Amino acid sequence: MAAHETFYDVIRRQGVTRRSFTKFCSLTAASLGLGSSAATAMAKALETNPRVPVIWMHGLECTCCSESFIRSAHPLVKDVVLSMISLDYDDTIMAAAGHQAEAILEETKEKYKGKYILAVEGNPPLNEGGMFCIDGGKPFVEKLKWMAEDAYAIIAWGACASWGCVQAAKPNPTQATPIDKVITNKPIIKVPGCPPIAEVMTGVVTFITTFGRLPELDRQGRPKMFYSQRIHDKCYRRPHFDAGQFVEEWDDEAARKGYCLYKMGCKGPTTYNACSTVRWNGGVSFPIQSGHGCIGCSEEGFWDKGPFYERLSNIKQFGIEHNADEVGLAAVGVVGAAVAAHAAVTAVKRITTKRDSKES
Amino acid sequence: MNRIVIGPFNRVEGDLEVTLDVESGIVRQARVTAPLYRGFEQLLIGRPAEDALAIAPRICGICSVSQSLAAAAMLRAAQNLEAAPNGLLTTNIAHAAENIADHLTHFYVFFMPDFARASYAARSWHPAIERRFKAMSGESLREALPARARLLETMGLIAGKWPHSLAFRPGGVTRAIDLSGQMRLIALLAEFRGFVERALFAAPIETVIELASCEALEAFVEGAGAAGDFAALLRIARDLKLEEMGRGPGLLMSSGAYLGPEGHLFPAGLFNVADGEARALPFDAIREDVSHAWMRDTASDPANAETIPDMRREDAYSFAKAPRLDGRPVEVGALARQGVAGHPLIKDLLRRAGATNVLARIVARLLEIALLTKAAETWTRSLQLNDRFCAHDAPLQNGAVVGFVEAARGTLGHWASIRDRQILRYQIIAPTTWNFSPRDANGTPGPLEFALEGLEVGGDGASNIAVQHIVRSFDPCMVCTAH
Repeated sequence: MAAHETFYDVIRRQGVTRRSFTKFCSLTAASLGLGSSAATAMAKALETNPRVPVIWMHGLECTCCSESFIRSAHPLVKDVVLSMISLDYDDTIMAAAGHQAEAILEETKEKYKGKYILAVEGNPPLNEGGMFCIDGGKPFVEKLKWMAEDAYAIIAWGACASWGCVQAAKPNPTQATPIDKVITNKPIIKVPGCPPIAEVMTGVVTFITTFGRLPELDRQGRPKMFYSQRIHDKCYRRPHFDAGQFVEEWDDEAARKGYCLYKMGCKGPTTYNACSTVRWNGGVSFPIQSGHGCIGCSEEGFWDKGPFYERLSNIKQFGIEHNADEVGLAAVGVVGAAVAAHAAVTAVKRITTKRDSKES
Repeated sequence: MNRIVIGPFNRVEGDLEVTLDVESGIVRQARVTAPLYRGFEQLLIGRPAEDALAIAPRICGICSVSQSLAAAAMLRAAQNLEAAPNGLLTTNIAHAAENIADHLTHFYVFFMPDFARASYAARSWHPAIERRFKAMSGESLREALPARARLLETMGLIAGKWPHSLAFRPGGVTRAIDLSGQMRLIALLAEFRGFVERALFAAPIETVIELASCEALEAFVEGAGAAGDFAALLRIARDLKLEEMGRGPGLLMSSGAYLGPEGHLFPAGLFNVADGEARALPFDAIREDVSHAWMRDTASDPANAETIPDMRREDAYSFAKAPRLDGRPVEVGALARQGVAGHPLIKDLLRRAGATNVLARIVARLLEIALLTKAAETWTRSLQLNDRFCAHDAPLQNGAVVGFVEAARGTLGHWASIRDRQILRYQIIAPTTWNFSPRDANGTPGPLEFALEGLEVGGDGASNIAVQHIVRSFDPCMVCTAH
């Protein structure tokens, strides 16, 4: 008899079979880009490690992250993840309310000091003493800091917690602030996107709760396994970009043929996310597949980088993808070279210089 | 007098706080607080008008398509544009999927789990309900959530991503559905029909749509639909007298839902419960009152109003303004839509109770699930795959325009003034702004406040469970309420 409750105990209690459990481990290991040996390691960790509580808090937000999360594609994954983390506190779906709910927070803070994961959806507004987001009679920012004190690590869900998102758009009326500006002494993993892809969210939660550590992060604090690819590079419409074949108007002949949406304002060339590979709503599609460009919702400051319906044009020089693009262009011979060079360079530049200087 | 504050509320969308003044065990006054404000109306000003299509949906991750469609309707008015018929139909399929998903979440995740609480342990129905509906672990969740996720794959097919989809335009949709897409839509809808006919209604949806009176409903509970979750709710409702709970002020409105090539599926109108009659809706009689909101005084006409917070306002207790129609509070939502549309079962339920109530609100939502599943099937089959799905944009004209749409929870309006393609002014009134409005300058409470006043809570105080039923019967969306 184990002295502590493990994930495996919880999972089995929820009625998940041993067979489903092993299947879950291999599926998840694969989706995280880990080898087959990782599946065994994962199973072992889940069977032996004590269960880590996950506290899910909501600040200024729109609940789109929760909405995405609960629809993670693989029914098995969702079942197991939900019962595994068992969301000790989440006011959107939990049973407890009011004081009872607050009590759960206090108890977790005490009993799992330094061990629990704090998942934050939304962000705190700092104007007017934080009163634009009042939670249980107190400004959210206070509750956030209080719960962060004793957390092992913090997950920043979505563009709100990671970067600020639309409520931080100029003039940012409430001074909505990303959480890493408020909490500076804890490891924070950013999972941006508005919302993030469900499978990315379940993947991150599973990794942390299983292995008890954060996955490898890039310089912006995002998990490399999901945010190291540019939408543009894995886009199924990329050949049309290279060939200079573009949609000029919504639902025109070119749109029906699935040409590139760059001229309709697509921000795929400057956006790092897994949309063009993992896709959305159970791998069914993603915005570009629906005939609309990417608006770059996982990038910092996307909300103030409009207009959303004009092409990217802030780069005039040539860069590393110059050759490949130019070959395609030469064949068609229509589109200006500035268009071609555009954004490949923009993205590379932005990603490497972001830390030093903010773009206008 | 005893003052009780209930909050944070669980299992509602967003943050909510309710303050009750209780005297001799009876609620004398209720105050409903929307405690969250982000400032969308302020930050939309000065942006290209079209960008509202990317910004506005982010008001809410639950009803994002409704927000997109209100912005698209506003832009359509500014372009004086006629949308492509295919575009309207495709939009309606996606919108119906979102609204069905909302109704389903409300029933299975938000509303029913309250009956699984320990305080009902003595009731004969409790063990079965607890097994099926308990929050987070009830067996119904394992059927309903996957069915809902699968239904929302229609959204994936049409809009690429959801929430915060981008495919919706003033002239239609950016995605032209091809034959394989149409087949997949038909298959997904058939699968969803299978779920509701098996678990929710335990009967064909046509049978539910044809229920025409309270008597027919009673017969359905004991007969054809006895095994369904719908019947389980109706039996509880009888035992707990949900029909007498949460009586609304009596005026219902719909701005017209699911605009197709031949007009709305559910018409626009104003329904008065007292006389059971629907009449034309005077859209220009909508005004906003800020006497009890943390908002500065501006114009009361939403076409000219601004939204600027004022935290020092005396008497204020919510970030929500109080919308009024000709000075009166109005209830919106599925019940209002079906009352205005004149569905015989809904009219009979309202006639019998003499007021809107907890039961009627829930029945109207479930009825809409049946109506919309059926309508979505028809729309999908009506697509003319070789025709356009999106009309060409026309130049944006200067001036004031408004776009209305019916979200799952009721009437949503976007008022905008446009000059040189830019937004000069933007004002949004969301469904829960109507239902959960604070009082106005005359002291008239909003619909939820009205519904809570007079409730007997005895010595239970905040733990009184009727309060939970009444609040949730409106299916609040707090992030939309004050935005």
